[in-house]
Amino acid sequence: MTNVLWLQGGACSGNTMSFLNAEEPTVCDLIADFGIKVLWHPSLGLELGNDLQNLLQDCVSGKIPLDILVFEGSVVNAPNGTGEWNRFADRPMKDWLTDLSQAAKFIVAVGDCATWGGIPAMSPNPSESQGLQFLKREEGGFLGKDFVSKAGLPVINIPGCPAHPDWITQILVAIATGRIADIALDELHRPQTFFNTYTQTGCTRNVHFAYKASTGEFGQRKGCLFYDLGCRGPMTHSSCNRILWNRVSSKTRVGMPCLGCTEPEFPFFDLQPGTVFKTQTVMGVPKELPPGVKKKDYAILTMVAKDAAPAWAEEDFFTV
Amino acid sequence: MTIQTLDISPVGRVEGDLDVRVDIEDGRVVNAWTHAELFRGFEIILRGKDPQAGLIVTPRICGICGGSHLTSASWALDTLWSTEVPRNAILARNLGQIAETMQSIPRYFYGLFAIDLTNKKYRRSRYYEEACRRFAAYTGKSYEIGVTISAKPVEIYALLGGQWPHSSYMVPGGVMCAPTLTDITRAWAILEYFRTNWLEPVWLGCSLERYEQIHTYDDFMDWLDEDRNHRESDLGFYWRMGLDIGLDRYGAGVGKYVTWGYLAHEDKYQKPTVEGRNAAMIMKGGVYDSFSDTHSLMDQSFLRENTTHSWYDEGTADIHPSDRTTKPTANNTKDFENAYSWSSAVLHKDFGRLEAGPLARQLVAGGNHGESWQHQDGFILDAFKNMGGANVHLRQLARVHELVKLYRQAEHCLREFKLNDPWYIKPTEKDGKGWGATEAARGALSHWVEVEGGKIKNYQVIAPGTWNIGPRDGEGKRGPIEEALIGTPIYDSSDPVEVGHVARAFDSCLVCTVHAHDAKTGEELARFRTA
Repeated sequence: MTNVLWLQGGACSGNTMSFLNAEEPTVCDLIADFGIKVLWHPSLGLELGNDLQNLLQDCVSGKIPLDILVFEGSVVNAPNGTGEWNRFADRPMKDWLTDLSQAAKFIVAVGDCATWGGIPAMSPNPSESQGLQFLKREEGGFLGKDFVSKAGLPVINIPGCPAHPDWITQILVAIATGRIADIALDELHRPQTFFNTYTQTGCTRNVHFAYKASTGEFGQRKGCLFYDLGCRGPMTHSSCNRILWNRVSSKTRVGMPCLGCTEPEFPFFDLQPGTVFKTQTVMGVPKELPPGVKKKDYAILTMVAKDAAPAWAEEDFFTV
Repeated sequence: MTIQTLDISPVGRVEGDLDVRVDIEDGRVVNAWTHAELFRGFEIILRGKDPQAGLIVTPRICGICGGSHLTSASWALDTLWSTEVPRNAILARNLGQIAETMQSIPRYFYGLFAIDLTNKKYRRSRYYEEACRRFAAYTGKSYEIGVTISAKPVEIYALLGGQWPHSSYMVPGGVMCAPTLTDITRAWAILEYFRTNWLEPVWLGCSLERYEQIHTYDDFMDWLDEDRNHRESDLGFYWRMGLDIGLDRYGAGVGKYVTWGYLAHEDKYQKPTVEGRNAAMIMKGGVYDSFSDTHSLMDQSFLRENTTHSWYDEGTADIHPSDRTTKPTANNTKDFENAYSWSSAVLHKDFGRLEAGPLARQLVAGGNHGESWQHQDGFILDAFKNMGGANVHLRQLARVHELVKLYRQAEHCLREFKLNDPWYIKPTEKDGKGWGATEAARGALSHWVEVEGGKIKNYQVIAPGTWNIGPRDGEGKRGPIEEALIGTPIYDSSDPVEVGHVARAFDSCLVCTVHAHDAKTGEELARFRTA
């Protein structure tokens, strides 16, 4: 039996909703077939007649073994570090976190708010939000740079806005089945198995990227969204085009630019005027290039690609 | 006498823990206060940002109604930039909205509401054992089917938007996607799967066509008696059990109801304006006043917000939402005489406090106001009159009643797409004001955006939770949930499941936690989650 306690801070429940879409395993399978016991969850927990505060206290004291603490939403510190703007069970949520983080064997941060602070932490960050162990790319966050949970691991970060349900279920199952040691984390504590490749990996518009054929505006079935519409697919670590969303698709497949939501900087440029759905360029060249690509090489690549591009690269590709 | 406090979280606009304090006397609630307990400051975050920032940010206000926020945000920008929205795009937005709501209904019913029918309070009901078999969390037969099937409709959303939750595929001027034959065919198949695996066999126990013959409360009760499959379906079983355990006997509320209406008609709203919106919706908007039994039209200019009892330093006057400045009070101490919530009180300038939600939508759908072509359906209004007004049970019926209608609207969208026609017409950006609205699964949602110098000057949101969960207004009048709690019978003050039922009946999205305090000692007796 693996006990899971799921709490929410400055959250929208998007990760919970995403989690409920899980298939193979479904949330019900997780409980029936993988020995996961949900001690409490804000939208699923059934504590009729039970005192949630006592349950939380029992987790804190160790009376109930807390195997996995899942946290969704940012850690709210406002006003002035007190956390009173996010009260839960008559106490600032951050105080519960302080206590529970000492008791939990593993801590899993689900979604951008819990990992890096996410949208609430966008400038001017009125709620003084942080992630559990990061604020944006800066290490530390609420629990501190050196924090490790009882099992000796830092907070396992499953970013995304929201996180993909399979990323969540697979990590829970890995812990429940004693396989978590096989999972390598990257420098941002993300499981590499999901975050080593790029969002672009598996994108159906890849061939247009290669030939520098652009999607000039929305509602088209051709071209790549990187050149004009601000797509961050080549620079973003995620498996969105390998492990599809809701079994069927991904943003870039349908023609929506990737917003880079698995990276700590999301939402990029703080959504300043002129940065939404528009590629940032200098002299017509994208300011940000795929990681490891040099500007000079990119220019050569562009010339060659454009020269080599077949006529069909500029035509409607995925016809009706 | 005991005093109980109920925490609901999150609340649409500020999305957080909401506590409800209830005074109980002789086993009944005599007073109640609802207060929201989380502030993230979305309106503050949006100031000074790109005009389109709302398309990315506002869906993240609420992960449950993200598509509804996106719908409001995009229509608001359409009215601001005077765009032209192609027919296909209107249909694609509607289909997204419909898919999200169709997801929400079974997820809410099984995941958040029906599990409480297994509460020990009902162990003497002859329906109890069957309720446990069907509705027990994670393991109940219907719970498992229902929660799993709820993921299906949003696969249709993902075919258009790439993913659910949190896509931003709706943009001023249309949509980002251009579905192909593959997408449309799969969407049809998913819709059929939803119907043949759950909606007809499990939920209704009959065909959609048979259910559509129900127009009055008598029709509904006749349907129930007509066939064992109707009685034994989850809908039939729930209705019978709810009457048996008295869910029809409390939770009335304010008796006045509001909806913006939703689903823009694909041929009537291609040049969106604020003024022209309401007459272009398939599901009509309006206000229903049950005291005078009258329907009237709704307009965004009728809205007022009051922050007398909220943690904002913005005075005590009733002001229009677009005039708000969103200045949070740093010291949010609970003071039930003064400020006790992050939610504001929302009012109609003539009717005062109004209830939003599926019940409101259906009561308005029964009216003869609006355009002759708009959708009309008198069933829930008739049930309302038969049952002597609103109650917990009827709120559930109103919510699930929309399933079949939404199914038909989804079919309509899929039929009407013309795959070779445009999906997007590039707009010209400009300064000004815009307004967009829709109906989220749980009620009226609207966005006001003001852009100056190419950036957002003011962004304001009124969510269903703001309508329903709001605290007392400037005149000290209770909000809809506060009012609905009055008179609620409390069978066991250590486990006040009824308070949960009332709060959940409004589908306040997520968790509520009830604590019961002994008034004399302030000792906490119980706490449980509601949603």
